[in-house]
Amino acid sequence: MSKPKVAFFDFTSCEGCQLSILNLEAELLELLEIIDIVEFREAMSEKSGSFDIAVIEGSFSRDSDLKRLKKIRETAGVVIALGACAHIGGINALRNSQNREDLMKKVYPDNPFLYETNEKALPISAAIKVDAFIPGCPVDVKEFVRVVKNLVLGKDPGLPTYPVCVECKLNENICVYELGKTCLGPVVRAGCNAVCTSSGGVCIGCRGLIPNPNINSQKDIMQKYGLDMERIIDSVNLFMTEDVRGK
Amino acid sequence: MLTEVMEKQSTKDNIMRGLKKAMAEYSIAALTKKDGKVLFDYIDDTDKIELEYTPTVLSPKKFFFPQEEVILEYTLEGRVNTKIDYTKTVLFGVRPCDITGIQILDEAFSESNGDPNYLTKRENSIIIGIDCNSICDENAFCYKVASQNPKGGFDIMLHNLGNDFAMSIVTAKGEQFADQYFEMGKVDSEALNTFRIEKMKVFEEAGGPFEDLEKLPEIFSENQFHPIWDTEAERCLSCGSCIMVCPTCYCFDVIDELALSMKIGDRLRRWDACMLRSFAEVSGGENFREEVKNRVKHRINRKFNFLMTKHGRSVCVGCGRCVRSCLADISPVTIVEALTATSKEMHLEEKNNDLYLPEKAYIRKIETFTENEKFFELELENGKSLGHQPGQFILLSIFGIGEAAISVSSPPSFGNRFDIVVRAVGDVTNKLHTLTTGDFVFIRGPFGHGFDNNILNKMKNKHILFIAGGIGYVPLRSLINLTLKKTNAYKKISILYGCKTPEDRMFKDELQYISTLGGNVELLETVDNGDDKWLKNTGVITTLIPMVDFNPEDTIAVICGPPIMYKFVIKTLADHGVTNNNIYVSLERRMKCGVGKCGHCQIDNIYVCQDGPVFRFSDIEDKEEAL
Repeated sequence: MSKPKVAFFDFTSCEGCQLSILNLEAELLELLEIIDIVEFREAMSEKSGSFDIAVIEGSFSRDSDLKRLKKIRETAGVVIALGACAHIGGINALRNSQNREDLMKKVYPDNPFLYETNEKALPISAAIKVDAFIPGCPVDVKEFVRVVKNLVLGKDPGLPTYPVCVECKLNENICVYELGKTCLGPVVRAGCNAVCTSSGGVCIGCRGLIPNPNINSQKDIMQKYGLDMERIIDSVNLFMTEDVRGK
Repeated sequence: MLTEVMEKQSTKDNIMRGLKKAMAEYSIAALTKKDGKVLFDYIDDTDKIELEYTPTVLSPKKFFFPQEEVILEYTLEGRVNTKIDYTKTVLFGVRPCDITGIQILDEAFSESNGDPNYLTKRENSIIIGIDCNSICDENAFCYKVASQNPKGGFDIMLHNLGNDFAMSIVTAKGEQFADQYFEMGKVDSEALNTFRIEKMKVFEEAGGPFEDLEKLPEIFSENQFHPIWDTEAERCLSCGSCIMVCPTCYCFDVIDELALSMKIGDRLRRWDACMLRSFAEVSGGENFREEVKNRVKHRINRKFNFLMTKHGRSVCVGCGRCVRSCLADISPVTIVEALTATSKEMHLEEKNNDLYLPEKAYIRKIETFTENEKFFELELENGKSLGHQPGQFILLSIFGIGEAAISVSSPPSFGNRFDIVVRAVGDVTNKLHTLTTGDFVFIRGPFGHGFDNNILNKMKNKHILFIAGGIGYVPLRSLINLTLKKTNAYKKISILYGCKTPEDRMFKDELQYISTLGGNVELLETVDNGDDKWLKNTGVITTLIPMVDFNPEDTIAVICGPPIMYKFVIKTLADHGVTNNNIYVSLERRMKCGVGKCGHCQIDNIYVCQDGPVFRFSDIEDKEEAL
């Protein structure tokens, strides 16, 4: 079996997901036994026009992205969206509900029209067909390795479809609702091993919704535990604006 | 199992010393504290054992059936080995509910195809239980499923006698272990007996087992289309928490994990959950249990129906973990009780012969409230509790005169007495006013649909706005007094009460008491015509509503009063933003049979005596006759 060629690309993002992958160190060397990395801006200066798997970090937020994304799609057999920005728009999509001109003036007061940006930051699936995604902000690197391995083996990527609550219970955490906090864990996709709730935080939804979430019940519960509607919407919108919810 | 339970006794210090010694040969797992939480875990010193029980997130089943374990090791070249990981373990301090759970798992993993991974771990373990003599919290319901006195699933059970533990040794393995590690003396039979009697009392007082516990498989089978499956499924998040924490769930998923070398790998099993959407999904996307309702049904039926038949006992052990972990407040107790009640009704209708037969009740206490209204405390001759929900009513008979529908005014109770307040307005009520303490009447019921668990759950953490007019306080008092028993379950409780004159007020002493409660409880009163002594508000009941500080989004209003009152109150509430689905009304109608037959109380297609008298207003707002 010849090793598949893998190329990494970045769009609107902090590039932290790629950095997490570089942090794999020992496992990265093992990973290189099963794949060839032919392009990775954060790690190497070589570039390659030919690759089998494209791993894309970042959201689709400029018209000019479209051409580049289409080119990648034409070349790659498999496209993987890496991290929340590529998967669901991520933190970038927070701006989607605001007026672009106002926002540009606020962020770049001296030169608001120097930078190109679209009205909305969208997941890359809004531009091209995506074959697999690795959720999270940042991604869970163990999951990244597992998905790559599964794809190389010709298996389904194998992402959990159950919510964070499952992993939280397996870790024997006291439910954060019992501690007087509110959490999106019941409707958000697991796979992170409940890392936030296991270390004193709450789930803020960076991995996106599970398939078929019971949003009404989640809303009722957050309300019952004292959040008003506005704050519920705020907390859900952090990673999942209306444009991307459910994708 | 030994043919006879061996009873011994030892001091607590002695037991601890014994466990310490056993550490040379065994790993010890016990209840312990770690990162601020209490859980069952391996310990390196007996000092770390917690003897007082706090409910844990996971049950100790994880020592025999871990969250994840390797069952096969293989190479891609085709070599394969079975893998069974185990350490010789003493599991110390398991409580009766979890022991019953282990007993059920022992049966499940032994039958037909003995599971090598589970059974090897069990064979290499000693289970030392600590008996309970109290109920751990309001969510536990071990007594309802009779799991507090396990007969198997352990080797030694300790009973707390203060400085000493009495010991019941039930297996040869336990006997051998105890002989080797514990210095034991003769049991103080009297003290052990006292412990057992006290324990029995505690669990009996908590309410005892589910009515018809043994018949639950039958009851569940005939209620597969009960509406409660819809109402519970509507709230269910399908998050799987209930299954993860269950001491008797044992479904698992099997996963191949190849090492990155792509040469060797493991086949592992991991806890799975039938509440998760993917549980019954096959490749190609077909899902054989797609609907949440079917998953809820399946989970609960496994405990009280399918597997109950197989194991000969409820497979739910009542530990309460699923109730504690459910953010949507779904509880097996609510479901079991609803289905049991429906089955009872179904069977009652089949039988038919008790339908119109009243039971004798004695008048135990009478108080005159006003010129026309008297309070009666009644006691059923058969010694049973009335078993009513707040808002339900009875039919009271005086032979020779007739029968009249009367609301029950006391909160639900296990006792056999209950309260009514009756205005002398008709034949039966006029006659009742002439009776004295010790006289008897006959009653049927309770009837109708009151404030059931579903409504009570909706009220949790909400601001409850009671609005009562005149004698309308009487039916509401059942719910008012129930909520006052646990005020911290509600955001706020506001009681608005209006009468014609100060003299017309019901339960004057209780009102006085409620007005002193403070905290999140407030009582606002008004009368149409005050006198010199009346210092509170004067005016109609609606004038009280603006005086309450409430957020319509989390307020539930409950109304009962004279017919004229409802329209005005509901309009004022609407002006303040309260929607009809957050308003409950208790309606009065002429009633004769109480069992949905005679037709007197009918409004369109509903019978007030069966579907009401308590209604969510949004359910009847389009009915012209309702108000």
